[in-house]
Amino acid sequence: MSAKLNTRSSRSLRGKIPFLDWMVIPTLIVLFLIVGYPVVSTAILSFQEYNLLKPNPPEWIGIDNYSDMYADRVFWVALTNTLIYTFGTVFVSALIGLGLALILENMTGRFSSWINAIVVIPWAVPFVVVAFLFRFMYMQNGGIVNEVLMDVGILSQPAPWLNSSDLALPAIIVANVWATTPFFFLVVAAALSGIPDAVLESARVDRAGIWSTLWHIKLPFLRTPLVIGSLLMVIANFNDFAKVWVMTQGGPGYSSTTLVVYVYRMAFENFDLGYASAIGIIWLILLLGTAALYIRLLLVRSS
Amino acid sequence: MKNSSRTMLFGGIAVATSLLSAPSAFAQDITLQFTNWATAEQTTQAGMQEVIDAFEAANPGIKIESQTVAFSETARQLVLRLRSGNPPDVAQVAGNDTFVLAASGGLQSLSQYADDAILGSLKTGSFEAFNLDGEMIAFPWNQAPAGFWYNKEILANAGLDPENPPATIDELNSAMATIKAANPDIITLGLDTTNRAFALSSNWPWMLAFGAKPVGEDATGAESPEMLAYLEWMRSLAQNGYIDPGRKIGEFRPLIAQGQVAFLWDQVLVQGVIQSSNGMDNDTFNATYGVAPMPAGPSGQGYSFEGGHQLVMFADSEHKEAAWKFIKYLSTDENAAKVYTIGTNRSIPPAAEFEDGEVAALLSTPVIDSYSAKIIPTIAAQPYGADFAEAATAIMAGVQEAVTSDIPIAEIAKNIQSQLDR
Repeated sequence: MSAKLNTRSSRSLRGKIPFLDWMVIPTLIVLFLIVGYPVVSTAILSFQEYNLLKPNPPEWIGIDNYSDMYADRVFWVALTNTLIYTFGTVFVSALIGLGLALILENMTGRFSSWINAIVVIPWAVPFVVVAFLFRFMYMQNGGIVNEVLMDVGILSQPAPWLNSSDLALPAIIVANVWATTPFFFLVVAAALSGIPDAVLESARVDRAGIWSTLWHIKLPFLRTPLVIGSLLMVIANFNDFAKVWVMTQGGPGYSSTTLVVYVYRMAFENFDLGYASAIGIIWLILLLGTAALYIRLLLVRSS
Repeated sequence: MKNSSRTMLFGGIAVATSLLSAPSAFAQDITLQFTNWATAEQTTQAGMQEVIDAFEAANPGIKIESQTVAFSETARQLVLRLRSGNPPDVAQVAGNDTFVLAASGGLQSLSQYADDAILGSLKTGSFEAFNLDGEMIAFPWNQAPAGFWYNKEILANAGLDPENPPATIDELNSAMATIKAANPDIITLGLDTTNRAFALSSNWPWMLAFGAKPVGEDATGAESPEMLAYLEWMRSLAQNGYIDPGRKIGEFRPLIAQGQVAFLWDQVLVQGVIQSSNGMDNDTFNATYGVAPMPAGPSGQGYSFEGGHQLVMFADSEHKEAAWKFIKYLSTDENAAKVYTIGTNRSIPPAAEFEDGEVAALLSTPVIDSYSAKIIPTIAAQPYGADFAEAATAIMAGVQEAVTSDIPIAEIAKNIQSQLDR
């Protein structure tokens, strides 16, 4: 009731004092400078031919960069890889994080806090370190993954995890899942602790089973945090450069090339800023579209 | 009181005079920014610093501000610095990076500094490649061509003649099969199959050995029968387990030092890396390792590439005379050659002759003799320039697909060509 009153009072205040609306202007200016200006510059560059190695100034070429992109096989491979990498990682790590949080939810005893800490450790490891760790673990000759799998008889000869066009992307996804699962574990564990005891108690009184409680009580409470967590991780993985670059540099061939790696190659190896900007704009539109979809999901749920 | 005021007045004038004169004294000191990776790498750091200290001692008015950059980051950083109007005075460069910087228009032509006398003191073939349209874009610092290294013990253990490495690719194929059968854990051939400009430089001589020339002047394209033959051969190397795909050339060096690589396609500086890794003395090293020219391919010839380092001066430098003095010192001073080029970097100085008998003695080794007499004459030009990096991405991605996937070779070649045409 008091929250309602406060909201009403602040709304009426805002209506009476228009000055408060202007208070947002400094923030908007800063946002325009640090976000808007680079985006607008990139959009303009995407319609120009601009190579840093060529002394001539940028030249307006209309939509040529975009039509080149449409015909560029590698762009489509990179886009497909990005979608597989992003959604594969988010789906699997969300599932494992959810499972771990539910299993460890009611764990008590001497070691429960230790186990929780161990589950969270991968989140504390810098992504570049994760990438190097897995790169060495996946090595075809002498890598621990092959050694273990051969010792237990699963493999008869070393697998070229990062040197096979079929295995490289899944291998990087596994490393990424290891690194991002703790995020979902933390999100779900926090949301679980926020479920009112009275609701769970009522379920117990009504003799609801484990699955029934999970499905009808816990999962509805977890939906919003999972949607928000997934959105954050989709954006983070869409932009993930370090792991792919350190582990494979987008190879072998283009089998693990993602959009961010392709943009990097175009901009900082070929110095073709015009084409790289065009890819960047498509990339931005895709991310905005995904974010809009997630937010719509949240709004539908709220209403 | 009067005296003390006068003393203070004179004292003040003296201090003011000394302060006014001080800046002009300091202004004679020039600080040159020198971007290099020699001080970034542990094996060359100390030697490089020693040479810089010696230069500063010999030239009291010039200070060197060494700016460390990783080898793989050099072109990126220098191009971005150039475009933002903040290039160094002098930089260490190599391979395509030299030509990329020249294409960007930011390099100072060295033609006006490198007169006939100094060019006449260099070996033929050590500097001509750096003349573009009549202007000298870079000055050679050292020569480090690639050769075909072999481990004599591995060859002997496999029943092969350790003193006669394969001279043709057919002989190489046969030797690799023999070695693999005798010792399956050995990496039979160390080749750089990463996707970067250096990897194309390194693989270019192998393509030429097959008669393939996918880009550049007189290019036959990526779909030529010669290029298909090269890609088929690369695939056979992977399928037979002879190569370890995805490794950078530098990652093979510790392995050859540990006796885990039979053949390695690498530069002259490998000797230094091997000896610093396993502590071998020169006699043991020469008894264990040898270097020969690339085995001749179907084209009837073998080739090499120049992986040496050059020095460039930027057009925006405000201290061009001092920068040239530094370049000339690093490249041609006998002490600098002894301490850094030969002693630390284990490469070959571009100078044709040395007065110091000690330097000549250092250069008289079986490895350098083999390079000078047999390998350097096989160096082939590369299609360096602004488009080389883009071509490298397309070609090396195709090479990687050939060695790591089942995609038909003809389709891979078609994809390479479509990327080259983009």
